[in-house]
Amino acid sequence: MYEPKIVAFLCTWCSYTGADTAGIARLKSPANLRAIRVPCSGRVSSELVMRAFNQGADGVLVLGCHIGECHYDTGNHRAAKRIPTLKALMTFAGLEPERLHLDWVSASEGERFSRITTEFVNAVRSLGPISWRVAPERVLTLGRGLASAEPVPYLESDCAGKTDAIRAKAKELLASGEVSCVIGYEVGSRGRTHPAFIYHDNDVERLVWNPDCTHNLTTYLPDKVSVSGALMAAHRKSSPKPVAVVVKPCDARAVNVMLAENRFPREKVHVIGVTCEGVRTEDGNLQTRCMTCEERTPVVYDTLIGEAPATFVHHPSSIVAENITTLEAASPAERMEYWLSQFDRCIRCYACRQACPMCECPTCLFERDDSLWVGLGIGVNQKRTFHLGRAYHLAGRCVGCDQCEQACPMDIPISLLNQRLAQEIEKSFGHRAGMQAISSPVVTVLAGEYKEG
Amino acid sequence: MSDNPMKPYLGRLAEVKDLGTEIKLFRVEMLNGGNEAFCNCKPGQFAFVSAFGLGEAPFGIANTPEHGPYIDFAINRLGSVTTGLHELGEGDIVGVRGPLGNWFPMDDFKGKNLVILGGGIGGAPLRPVIQHVLDHRGDYGKLTILWAARHPSLLVFTDEYEDWRKSPDTGLHLTVDASDPTWDRNVGLITDLLKKVNPSPENAVSITCGPPIMIHYVTRLLGEMGFAPQNNYVTLEARMHCGLGKCGRCNLGEKLICVDGPVFNMEEVGHLLETFL
Amino acid sequence: MSTSQTINKTWLISQEALENWLDSLAKARSLIAPRDVDGVLLYRPVENSNQIKWGFTRPVLSAKEVFFPSTERLLKIEKTNQHVTLLETLPEGQTVIFGLRPCDARGLQALDALFIKHTPTDPYYARRRENTAIIGLACKEMGPTCFCTSVGGAPDDSDGMDVMLYETEDSYLVRAMTEKGLALIPQTEWPLTEEVPAPAKMDAPLYSLPQQNSWPAHFNANYWEHVSERCLSCRVCAYVCPTCRCFVIRDESLTAPGQFERIRCWDSCNGANYRRIAGGHRPRSEKGERLRNRFYCKFYYYAEQYDLGEETSACTGCGRCVDSCPVNIDITEVLTELGRLA
Repeated sequence: MYEPKIVAFLCTWCSYTGADTAGIARLKSPANLRAIRVPCSGRVSSELVMRAFNQGADGVLVLGCHIGECHYDTGNHRAAKRIPTLKALMTFAGLEPERLHLDWVSASEGERFSRITTEFVNAVRSLGPISWRVAPERVLTLGRGLASAEPVPYLESDCAGKTDAIRAKAKELLASGEVSCVIGYEVGSRGRTHPAFIYHDNDVERLVWNPDCTHNLTTYLPDKVSVSGALMAAHRKSSPKPVAVVVKPCDARAVNVMLAENRFPREKVHVIGVTCEGVRTEDGNLQTRCMTCEERTPVVYDTLIGEAPATFVHHPSSIVAENITTLEAASPAERMEYWLSQFDRCIRCYACRQACPMCECPTCLFERDDSLWVGLGIGVNQKRTFHLGRAYHLAGRCVGCDQCEQACPMDIPISLLNQRLAQEIEKSFGHRAGMQAISSPVVTVLAGEYKEG
Repeated sequence: MSDNPMKPYLGRLAEVKDLGTEIKLFRVEMLNGGNEAFCNCKPGQFAFVSAFGLGEAPFGIANTPEHGPYIDFAINRLGSVTTGLHELGEGDIVGVRGPLGNWFPMDDFKGKNLVILGGGIGGAPLRPVIQHVLDHRGDYGKLTILWAARHPSLLVFTDEYEDWRKSPDTGLHLTVDASDPTWDRNVGLITDLLKKVNPSPENAVSITCGPPIMIHYVTRLLGEMGFAPQNNYVTLEARMHCGLGKCGRCNLGEKLICVDGPVFNMEEVGHLLETFL
Repeated sequence: MSTSQTINKTWLISQEALENWLDSLAKARSLIAPRDVDGVLLYRPVENSNQIKWGFTRPVLSAKEVFFPSTERLLKIEKTNQHVTLLETLPEGQTVIFGLRPCDARGLQALDALFIKHTPTDPYYARRRENTAIIGLACKEMGPTCFCTSVGGAPDDSDGMDVMLYETEDSYLVRAMTEKGLALIPQTEWPLTEEVPAPAKMDAPLYSLPQQNSWPAHFNANYWEHVSERCLSCRVCAYVCPTCRCFVIRDESLTAPGQFERIRCWDSCNGANYRRIAGGHRPRSEKGERLRNRFYCKFYYYAEQYDLGEETSACTGCGRCVDSCPVNIDITEVLTELGRLA
């Protein structure tokens, strides 16, 4: 008879002691639990939970102190926010929601411990063994096709006027010495638009504004404004002066996230914000992210280029929204099959991570030399851990610039994960990344009343 | 080398002893045919040592076959493989893949004076050179050894210094960056010591091994002291994975440290070293 | 360009005959061909010719992944306290690849120089090469980012193929290039022909490579700083390239206790921590140094280290890096600029 393997993270001050209390009182608790004692439920990171599932756990239970009773004051606030966020993401990726559960048990609540664990194990048992870990030899069938919204033609915009204004501003900033560099866009080989770094005021004619200004230039800011910012040791030069950057509304939100995370001082960056009606794909249609963009004027800027568009065309039924709806309506097994077939193509080049302005860890958690959180191999299990883990790390931080998905050579729908999480963060915390220079709610304490259950 | 160059020989740890802070000497007894592979290994060559379950990493072979029957590795605990190795004890099994790389042209050095400069754990690949010279003392001229470390507890092979000193026409000079109450010798960088010892470049070759920054400053100083580039030898290390010239990681310009090195003379690589720092 | 070995016979077959042939080959071997994987064209195993994405051009990834997989088990390790057993896991099974383009075959020859000709031979790659037959398909014309003609190749070059196919208006001309290829051909079933393949259209621009011996002089040029400023170190160029082959080796645990596997996986010199050693020392810490290294390796170091015959670079001119770079760093532009610097 199948007995589920449960990994239970128990906080040492409350729930672990609560387990002891249950034992001393001879209350029956299921033997399926493999207990792992942690100092605080807030310590239970997404990596721990995912690793437990990857190693074969059928269910993961996280038990902490009641809110307001945490030994570390607000440690359990993190668990209260993070575990449900992680659960939303993993459920979206095909985990049955009953397999991951967060609850609160104090040191004296032996009965509560016994009841909660019994209920959890019963729920997991009824689901059967987990099929989360995929056998390496298993050949994946193609995922079910998802609906695509009608392509939307790209709207014309005053590119020539904006180009002139950007060049004028860049010239002014460089000539006066107010900035050492302007990061903008230029047209390069084969007529492609790409990032440009302008250092002299007589070079500003290279700068352009056109429908292909798709890159998020803020990704270059931290290196550029750091004192040692230079690309070759031989040409190392310090940059004490500020740097100017041309941003679209989505990119401007990235500036706010970076400011909230102290990646550079506000005065070191001159934000040239450009009003935007969207950028286009290679086929000349409006990009997916632009279809549902709420901001047409950057949320932060020092100089504003362009007028806010007079007509605001919003396309509520973007391909992303439709795909999320379709996936949510499918069964967990169907969702899992879809995502595994998408990740199957992944080659772990990490282009998504490199293109992302928010991914900045000097050593990526998923590329450690000791394979602590995920192995090195390019197998389906590892790839899923990388993508889900990265999406989770971006919760409340991702601004939806879609550069990850655009950089991906294998056309993996990475943005879908980020968009789903952004939905979750907005629903749970009323937070949209980058609208102001404040941190993601997942790293702060609870604000206001918290209702258990 | 075994038929499959990616498959290591097995070795048993015959002895594990402390050499310094976080530095241990591993004496490996080769099993399953490894002895034949290593019985002709030469000073300067290296091998990959596996901590099975973690991985493998390259280490200089720290003795000559005449000082066998074991193969010595002096290993500093720094990362995941070296930590795994440090957790092993006598009797445990490791993997050894090699011998790899080129070697010091000891025959070309015959009749010459040798100046050997070792910094920290960089002394390990120089030990077989010293062993070879002392075993064939008559073949070589004056032997000057400069041995340095950041701290006295990081000096390696201290119990052999007496034997080195006792050898005819041999000088051993030690220095540490920072001393402690037990230390009564030189304090300072190896470049300061080199200026003080001031060996003559006449009919001499130098061999340097240590951290990249040390190699940079020492070889520069040797040049200023009149040592011609083709007489300055270095043994270099880099992150390696295959050790066979395939994975591309250890390149120094157009050279691969694992197959064109790790032993180089400064005439070959002097211009390439800027990319190494 | 070296002359191809032909076995002096040409057959003329229809699309149907080609599909029947591939179906019969797929019965005894693993057949790999360009396939549509959720909208992405890739070389993948197919069970029959219906699964091939006919009208294919150039798959996003090169065929190197067939011989040098992105992840590969080298050894299986069983460990108890005082006992270790190592089990080699060499690849088995016969394979046929259909639809390889000349640029990809050129890539395999560069990898052969490294993995096979340069001793010691890598047994994993060598075994796959031995057990695989290659049916190539000539390109009728060059794509917008192709530049094989600039690096000594051609869209209809049969070097490295076992069998070579050339499309005509409504059929295929087939030539066996090696004995291995000849053995695959159902000679009794196919009609011979005197027809000769029409030459491919080669009107793509020709980029002149800098002289081989001029590369060292450009090493410290300011140009590398300029071109690398926008590089994201995303490494896609290396992963889609037919000849980039940097790899990492590590032991990973398997689910059963005491069981591990030693695997090797793709890596790229463009990664920030590529050369980082445990003590923290990290050569090529600046991305400009890394970008420069990749170009130098491709166009200078590779030919110095491995025997490429008459070739001077490991670049096949396939253009994948041009298509996939998110910030439009264009290898043809780099080569042109360096040529100008000389």
